[in-house]
Amino acid sequence: MTLVWPQPKTWNGKELPRILTRLFDVENGHTLAVAKQHGAYSTISKTLFDKSQFEIIQTVIESGLRGRGGAGFPTGMKWSFVPRNTGKPVYLVINADEGEPGTFKDRLCLTRDPHLLIEGMINTGYALGVRTAYVYIRGEMLPQIRALNDAIQEAYNAGLLGENIQGSGYSLDIYVHRGAGAYICGEETALINSLEGFKGQPRLKPPFPAVSGAFAAPTVVNNVETIMAVPYIVQHGAKAYRQWGTDKSPGSKLFSISGDVHKQGVYEVPLGMKYADFFDLAGGLKGEILGCIPGGSSAPVLDAKESMEATMDYECLAALKSMLGSGAVTPFNTTRDPVTILESIARFYAHESCGQCTPCREGTGYVNRILQKVAAGQGRDGDIELMKDLAESYEWTTICAFAPGAAWPVLSFIKKFRSHFDAYLAKNPQHAAGRDLKSLTPAAFM
Amino acid sequence: MPDPITINVDGRDVQVQPGMQLIEALRGPAKTDTPAFCYHPDLTVAGNCRICLVETEGPRGWALGISCHMKTAPGLKVRTQVTSEKIVKLRKGVMEFLLVNHPLDCPICDKAGECTLQEHYMGQGRHESRLEDEVGKQYKGGADHRFTDSKGEARGGKKIDLGSTIVLDQERCIVCSRCVRFMDEVAQSPQLAIAARGDHAYITTFPGKPLEHDYDLNVTDICPVGALTGKHFRFQQRVWMLKSVESIDPSDSLGANLTIEYNVGQVNGKVWRLMPRRNPAVNKSWISNASRMLYQDLAKDRLTDGVVNGQDVPLAEALSAATAALTGAKRLAIVASGHLTTEDNAALLELATKFGTKAEVFGGSWLPVGQPDGIARSGDPVANRKALQVLGVPDNLDALVARAGEFDAILIAGNDLWAADAAKAEALTKIPVRVVLSSWINATTAKATIAVGVRAWAEVRGTMINCQGRVQVLNACPVVPNPDLEAVWQVVNQVGQLGWTTESQAWKAAAARAPQLQGITYRAIGPMGQMIAETAAPAAVGV
Repeated sequence: MTLVWPQPKTWNGKELPRILTRLFDVENGHTLAVAKQHGAYSTISKTLFDKSQFEIIQTVIESGLRGRGGAGFPTGMKWSFVPRNTGKPVYLVINADEGEPGTFKDRLCLTRDPHLLIEGMINTGYALGVRTAYVYIRGEMLPQIRALNDAIQEAYNAGLLGENIQGSGYSLDIYVHRGAGAYICGEETALINSLEGFKGQPRLKPPFPAVSGAFAAPTVVNNVETIMAVPYIVQHGAKAYRQWGTDKSPGSKLFSISGDVHKQGVYEVPLGMKYADFFDLAGGLKGEILGCIPGGSSAPVLDAKESMEATMDYECLAALKSMLGSGAVTPFNTTRDPVTILESIARFYAHESCGQCTPCREGTGYVNRILQKVAAGQGRDGDIELMKDLAESYEWTTICAFAPGAAWPVLSFIKKFRSHFDAYLAKNPQHAAGRDLKSLTPAAFM
Repeated sequence: MPDPITINVDGRDVQVQPGMQLIEALRGPAKTDTPAFCYHPDLTVAGNCRICLVETEGPRGWALGISCHMKTAPGLKVRTQVTSEKIVKLRKGVMEFLLVNHPLDCPICDKAGECTLQEHYMGQGRHESRLEDEVGKQYKGGADHRFTDSKGEARGGKKIDLGSTIVLDQERCIVCSRCVRFMDEVAQSPQLAIAARGDHAYITTFPGKPLEHDYDLNVTDICPVGALTGKHFRFQQRVWMLKSVESIDPSDSLGANLTIEYNVGQVNGKVWRLMPRRNPAVNKSWISNASRMLYQDLAKDRLTDGVVNGQDVPLAEALSAATAALTGAKRLAIVASGHLTTEDNAALLELATKFGTKAEVFGGSWLPVGQPDGIARSGDPVANRKALQVLGVPDNLDALVARAGEFDAILIAGNDLWAADAAKAEALTKIPVRVVLSSWINATTAKATIAVGVRAWAEVRGTMINCQGRVQVLNACPVVPNPDLEAVWQVVNQVGQLGWTTESQAWKAAAARAPQLQGITYRAIGPMGQMIAETAAPAAVGV
C-alpha cells in the first residue's frame, strides 16, 4: 500500500481541515526547526501558562473532542475524572499501540509531525498536573520510535521538556516505552499492565485508571491523535474547533482508508462527511461496492446501501449499530468474498485474545475453527446459527471490550451477507445432514 | 460487626453484611447456587472465569456483572439464574466454552467427585453437546497427550512432573489462575505463570525450574479441575469412597484446621489423605506440606502392643505391669506433654493428685522453636503448649534432669525426649523404672522398661489449645492399627482408677483446674474453635 499524500486542499470547493496534518506535506516537517517555522510550540507560552488548569479542561470539554482511539469517549470528561490532591502523581500515558486492523494513522503522525504530539502532551500534562508522561508505542514501529525519540531529544535540547519549561515553572518528562506488539495492549488497562512490566492483560474495573492506573496512581490514557488535537483547541478555542464536524461530533479526524479505492491512505476530514464523498476523495471506488467496514475490523460491517448513505460521525454509525472506531475505513467490492474476509478477521481475534476470560479465550477459537471449516467447504446446516449463538454468548460477558469487538464482525457479517455463507454450506454435498454429533460416541475418545 | 443491610435477590429481601463480596452473600445468606472457578475467598479476585455472572440494577437499567467483583450495598437488586433467563443462557455458554478444550476423561481423573467443573456442569451446564470434531485443541493422543493449539504448536502434555510433589495434566487446565495467585500472594514465591495467550495459554514454571515450596500442595486443593494433582494421592482412592472427620494439625501450635479422609475395611482401611479445612481466623484454607504428610506416619512404626523389659507383650499385660510399677513407686516423676490433648494432660495431673506427695509433675519440651511462616504454621512444634500453661504445668524438663536421682520411677507420655535431646535425656536412665506411653516405636520407647502403645492424634477425640488461645477439637478417625489401643487418658484412667468413662469427663477435670476453660463445652467449641479468656499478663520483672 502506498500512503497517498498530500490530500487535496479543498473538496467540493470547501477547505479541508488541517489541524492534525498541517506539517504532513512539509519537507522535514518532523524536525524542530522546520516545525517551529510553521508555528509548532506556539502554545508553549502565555497562551497555555496564563490559563488555569480548570480553564483548559473546560475548553476541551466545550470543544467536544472525543477519544480517537476507538471508543470515542469525551476527552475533557475523562480528564475531569482525575482526582486532585491525592498525594500521588498523575500520569499521562499516550496510547501509540495502534493495532486495530486497517488503522495506520498514528504511525504517520509520529513520523510526519512528532512535535505536535509533544506539544499536545505538554498542554495536557499542564492541565492535569502531570510530571511524568509515557508514550506506549508498538515495538515493531521502528521508524516511528526513532522519529519520536529524536523529536523528544530536540525538545529537551530546546528547553521545551524537562525542568521549568520555557521559564513557566512547569516541568514534564516524557519516556517512550516499547510494547511487544500485542493487539490487547491497546486496551488501556492492559497497556498499563504492560507498561508496569506485567503480562498485557486487561484489569478488572473498577477501579478505573483515572483513579488507580499506572503504578496505582491516577492515570489518563489517550490516543496519539486525540492529544495532537489539543494544541489547536488551546490556541484557537473550542469554537474554532467546532467550525468543523457536526454538533455532537465536532472537529476533524484522521481516517485511514484501505480496500477497494484508488488512493488508499490517511486523510484528515471533518466529521459528518458522507462515506460516499470520502470514497471519491480517496480516488473513487474500484468496482461496485458490496460493503464497508467503517471503523476498524471490530466495527460491525455496513452493507452497500448503508455504506453509501452513512456519514462519518459517532451518532450516525451508532444508529446503524456500528461504530466510528479508530477511523479505519475498508470498503470492499463485489469481487470480494465476505466469508473469507470474516474468516481472516476471526482468525485474528482468536490469535490475539489475551486468554484471561473464559468466553473470549475459548469462544474466539471455537468460532474461528467452525469458520475455517465452513470456508473450506466442509460446513453443514446449523454451523451459521451456532457461530451466531456463540458470538452472542461472549459478546458482553468479559472483562474488556475485546470480546464484543470479536463478536460484532461475526454477528454483522452473518446478518448482512447471509446468502454468501449459505452458498459456502452448499459446497458441501452433505451439508443438509446437519451438524454431526455422532462423534460423541465413546469411540471418539479412545 | 456492622449492622446488616437489606439487598434484593430474585425478588426476595435478604439481610447481609454491608461491603461483603456479592458472591459470598449469594452463596451464604441468599442461599443461591452461584458457581465460581477463579474466585477463592482467600485469594484476590481475578474475575476471569465469568461463570458467577448476575444482573444488577443500576442507573442505566439491568446490567451484567460478575458477583465476585461486586460488593453488597443497601438497596442492591440482583437477578440470578433463578429469575433471569439471560443468566441461565450465558452461564450455559460459559460452561460450554470451558468444556470446549477440556477432555472428557472423568473416569480416569483423580478430581472426579470433587471437581468444581463437574459440580457446576450438573447444576448449570448445557446438557446437550454441540461439539463436532472440528473443535477442541485436537489432541494427538498417544503417550504424551500433547495438543496442537490454534497456532499449530504442540502444547501441554500429560503427566508433567512439576516438582517433587505435584503432577500437571495440562489438557484439563481451565486457566483460572488460582494456582498462580496462590504462589504469588500466599506462598509469596512466584513460581507459576500462565504463558502464551488465548486458547493456547498454559500453566508453567520458569524454564527448567521445578515447583518447590513448603505449601505447594495447596494448589492441588484449589485447582477446580484435575490439572494439578499431588503425587501422594494420585490414583490412590476414589474420593467418593472416602469418609472424613474434622481435626487439627498436631505438629504445630497454630493447629491448622484439617480434615482426615479415610476408608475402612480390610483392603482400603487406612487414612488416605489430610485436607485443609477453612478457618479464616487460623489457617485460612491452607496447610503446609509437612502437616499434610502427617497421615503417612499413622501407619508406620506404630507401637501396637506393649514392651516389658525388651519383650513384646500384649497390651493388657503391659498395662498391668505399668500399673504395678507406678503404684509401687516411692518417688514418681510424671512428664506431661504438649504433644497430647488437654484431656490426656488432665488425666496425668489427676493421677499425680491421686498419688499425692510421692508424685511430681514436670513438663516442657527440648524441641527447637522456629519462626511463624505467616501462612499456617507458628513454628512451635509443641502443639498444645498453651494448654500446659493454662493447666499450670511447669516448664522444667531441665530441673527433672538435674534431680533425676531423686526418683525411682518415671512416667513419660507422648513425648519423645530422646529424639528431642538424647544427651540431656540420658540422665533419665538413672531412674530404674521408666514407663513410656507412646503411639510410635521411637528413641524413647527404646529406653523404656515398660512401654505401652496408645492411640495417635488422629484416633482420639480431644482438644488442643493453639498459640492464639483457641480451643480446637480433634475427632477420632476409626482407622486404628490395633483396635485394643486406647488414648493416653484412658490408660492413665486405668492406672489411677480415676473412674472416667468419656473424654468429656476428662475435659471437665481440665476445666476444674483452669478457670479459663470453665463453661466451655465440646458443643460450644464447634468446628471453628473457641477462644479462651486471656489470662492477665505476667507482671513485668525488674521494671
